[in-house]
Amino acid sequence: MHWYGSVLDGYSARSSFGEMHRCSNVCLWAYARRLVGFCKTLVTVGLVGWAVTSAGAAQPERSVVQIVVFRQEPDWTLPWRFDAVRPANGSGFVIKGRRLMTNAHVVSWARQILVRRFQDPRPYLARVEFAGHDCDLAVLTVEEERFFDGLEPLEFGELPQVRSTVVTYGYPAGGEEISYTRGVVSRIELSAYTHPGNRQALSVQTDAAINPGNSGGPVIQDDRVVGVAFQGIPGLENTGFFIPCPVIQHFLRDIADGRYDGTPQMGIQLAPLQNPAYRARLRLPDNDLGVRVDYIRPHSPATNLLQREDVILQIGDYPVGSDNKILFAGNRVSGKLAIQLVQCGEPVSLRVWRDGRELSVAVPVRWFDEDRAGGNQYDVRPRYYVFGGLVFTPLSRDYLRSAFQGAARGESRDGDAELTYELFFRPQEDPGSVRKEPIVLSNVLADSVNANWSLRSRALVDRVNGMRIECLEDVIRAFETNTNAFDLVEFGRSQMFECLDHAAAVQAQARILKNYNIPRDRQL
Amino acid sequence: MSRVFRLAAMLLGIAPMAMAGNEARPAANDWATAVVRIEFSRTLYDLYQPWARRTGRTLKTGLVVAERQVLTTAQDVSDHTLVRLQKGGRGEWTLGKLLWVDYRVNLALVTTAEESFWRGLRPAVWLDGAPPGEAALQIVRWREGKLESRRAEFTQFTVHPSQTSGLNHAQLEVDSEIQGAGSGEPVVVGSRVVGLVSFQGGRGCRVIPASFIRQMLTAHGADNSRSPGYFHFYWAPAENVASLAQLGLPGSPRGVLVTKVPARLDGQPNVLRRRDVLLQVDGFAVDIQGDYRDPDFGPLMLEHLAVRGKWAGDEVRLRIWREGREQTVSYRLPRYDFAHDLVPWGPYDQPPQYLIMGGLVFQPLTRAYLQQWGAEWEQRAPFRLRYFVGEEATPEQPAVVVMSQVLPDPYNIGYQDLRYLVLREANGRPVHTLGQLQEALRQPQGGFHVLEFLANDSFRRIVLAAAGADQQATARVLERYGIPQEAVLTGGAAAQ
Repeated sequence: MHWYGSVLDGYSARSSFGEMHRCSNVCLWAYARRLVGFCKTLVTVGLVGWAVTSAGAAQPERSVVQIVVFRQEPDWTLPWRFDAVRPANGSGFVIKGRRLMTNAHVVSWARQILVRRFQDPRPYLARVEFAGHDCDLAVLTVEEERFFDGLEPLEFGELPQVRSTVVTYGYPAGGEEISYTRGVVSRIELSAYTHPGNRQALSVQTDAAINPGNSGGPVIQDDRVVGVAFQGIPGLENTGFFIPCPVIQHFLRDIADGRYDGTPQMGIQLAPLQNPAYRARLRLPDNDLGVRVDYIRPHSPATNLLQREDVILQIGDYPVGSDNKILFAGNRVSGKLAIQLVQCGEPVSLRVWRDGRELSVAVPVRWFDEDRAGGNQYDVRPRYYVFGGLVFTPLSRDYLRSAFQGAARGESRDGDAELTYELFFRPQEDPGSVRKEPIVLSNVLADSVNANWSLRSRALVDRVNGMRIECLEDVIRAFETNTNAFDLVEFGRSQMFECLDHAAAVQAQARILKNYNIPRDRQL
Repeated sequence: MSRVFRLAAMLLGIAPMAMAGNEARPAANDWATAVVRIEFSRTLYDLYQPWARRTGRTLKTGLVVAERQVLTTAQDVSDHTLVRLQKGGRGEWTLGKLLWVDYRVNLALVTTAEESFWRGLRPAVWLDGAPPGEAALQIVRWREGKLESRRAEFTQFTVHPSQTSGLNHAQLEVDSEIQGAGSGEPVVVGSRVVGLVSFQGGRGCRVIPASFIRQMLTAHGADNSRSPGYFHFYWAPAENVASLAQLGLPGSPRGVLVTKVPARLDGQPNVLRRRDVLLQVDGFAVDIQGDYRDPDFGPLMLEHLAVRGKWAGDEVRLRIWREGREQTVSYRLPRYDFAHDLVPWGPYDQPPQYLIMGGLVFQPLTRAYLQQWGAEWEQRAPFRLRYFVGEEATPEQPAVVVMSQVLPDPYNIGYQDLRYLVLREANGRPVHTLGQLQEALRQPQGGFHVLEFLANDSFRRIVLAAAGADQQATARVLERYGIPQEAVLTGGAAAQ
């Protein structure tokens, strides 16, 4: 994995899509589904005593819960449908405010969430109060107040030191009861979060066994929670990752006002500045400070405040090295972190080198939603429109994953070249031609009205009845306002086109919806 | 294409072949007088290190087709350093030489001045027309000193690109138990040659048919000035009758939809337009699947009409439906040229091009380069590179230059990990060829080289020192990495 062009904020998504997944970081949730019955070395009964002792008299295991979720994901190619309901297990723990904390990926697409207390046979119904999919954290509430009786909320600690010892608590696969594993903190840096698919954030690597089912469980040091277990690397021994306190605290501060705003971004891509010639050209002193603005995303917070070739010398309180790293609690990590620690809407003060002199710039950062289709989407039903058996839906990473069976997960980035380019490259390379919401013809539901269509799926829609398609609503408008005998649908790079008998399609609409058991012709 | 059409095609082929079928079937050894072995010693290149060379050897099957002429396929012939011929499947090898090769059509002729080699050999006889469906086809080659003759079953005629270019033409597909074929083995029926095997995948073999070979050999024998042509436009089947109705075509559904007409690089006007319906090509009616009825092969994709008795520059009469009326336009066939593809086939018979500046290695994006990622290169090569495959070259973007790697040196510190980046500009000038890059590097900006890349996962712009530091670094890199020269820019368009 190479990260030369360290990215200050989220649109590095594409990078993680291509590179990190080759390292096969996989959410423990998904991992769990594939590895039922898999069991690494678990701390035995004898070690339980040690774990309890080590964690202190507070007996944190009493505040660790098992989460049983029945989840159902949509079929992104037939977007009114859902896959079969699947049960899965995760972990969580009690925090202040009579709440539970777990991973967002544990509870995403949940139809029902049950939580079980330590050594208590009774299941309790829970619901998601907040889910931060970009940081893979969620807060749950339990409907029955007595659930919390006798449970002490766990306190949060600080970012642990590398080489220090931590203990994970949770309910991993391989048994029914709580499990404890001990390990040392191996590394602290920003890494790709598999759950959002296109975000990097601070994470801690440990050699404590973190297995499927551990997701959402606390990682404890000196009686305090120092992280939430969340992902591993299949095939790599003794490597697990947890979300550390700076990320957790940011999430908790964010939701304090009753709304989750997300991890902020600035909308710039930074490149290390280590070549002496480049530094000389920018008249920078030879002090290994400063990272170059390589790209500014249009309409981002930085658009009118920063310039390409600006050199960022400091973000907030953190001087930025020429390798695009800051020193954070004794660890050299990507400068992106200095922005992620700020709440949305707050300004980030930058010390900038421009045209041979230093200046200060304050950039108000915000949640960046424009690339959501390039990441995994959760808990929002896919948008679609069906007309004459033609199924239109927005192009997304989820769609690519469904349509090309794994392509968008990084096993192969092949999928379809045009769709991949449209989703991941055009926004950067040719922002002027980007569509607000690229639409694909996802399927053609066979019916006499479309029986002769040549193009059956996976095609980027360019125009319908002459109207350039910028979003799904355009498709609907183009069909519904057509007064000609035929509907003309034109596609992208191939420039293919196909027609539909408009009157026959209108007439067939009810029949098609009934035959294919589609509840309604659109979901917007 | 429906099986009904295929059956009809086979039946039409029966008449001429009945005679061949009546001939006494010759013994396999009769082919010993026409089938020979050819050995090509070759220079092979590692395109990850385009300056590195190694040697290789390819054994192919040849067929004596005329006096002192042995025919084989052009695959694995390029960059040969030595040619040897062997008859009888064993014994003495005779020095030969390549007489003619055309990678566009995947054919090559070999000869030798050694009189004794030709003694006892006689040219094979081509089959006229198509083999009948029930004919007993055989694939013949020398193997371990014996003439191997394996039965092959006719499957179908199809239109496919050549194995060494994107040129489409009719090909014969057969099934056979033979293993490892695809190196020019003749497919025979009775005493006639049906074609040469150019590819094998599983049991299926693809065969360049005799009629196509004869057309190419005849042209070569005449004046060698003719080049194959092709249809440069894109079309789609018109199975969706609503599309034809929307275009107002009366009568029964027929023809195909013209979907894309790229600008011609030869300066000729485009006589076709998007949304034309192509009804006939040179009088052959085109059905809604894009097939016409070939007199020799039966239903075939219309692409073959660009090479069936035609050459680049020839006029083809296209009957089209446009704006409510039928009309005929005259389409001048463009010359098939490797340079028409943004990512060209090959290159053949030329060392790979590259340019090194201060350890940065630049190479043209070619299929040969992408094929370094192995047989599954279309899935495994970096997306940003393979995305260009299938795109046409345009005057604005005739080719693509890739910065393939950086050979570490103090000069390029900070950029050592960069690779597979598509170069967009150098020192403010657009760059599509190594020649343009070389020219741009002669004009640094204020003592620096400024290189811009297409969007990627890392840097979009890098700056390096000029003013002599670049040349010193290049010299140092060449010395340290044992590279004989800093640039190979010869060639340009691939050899044909």
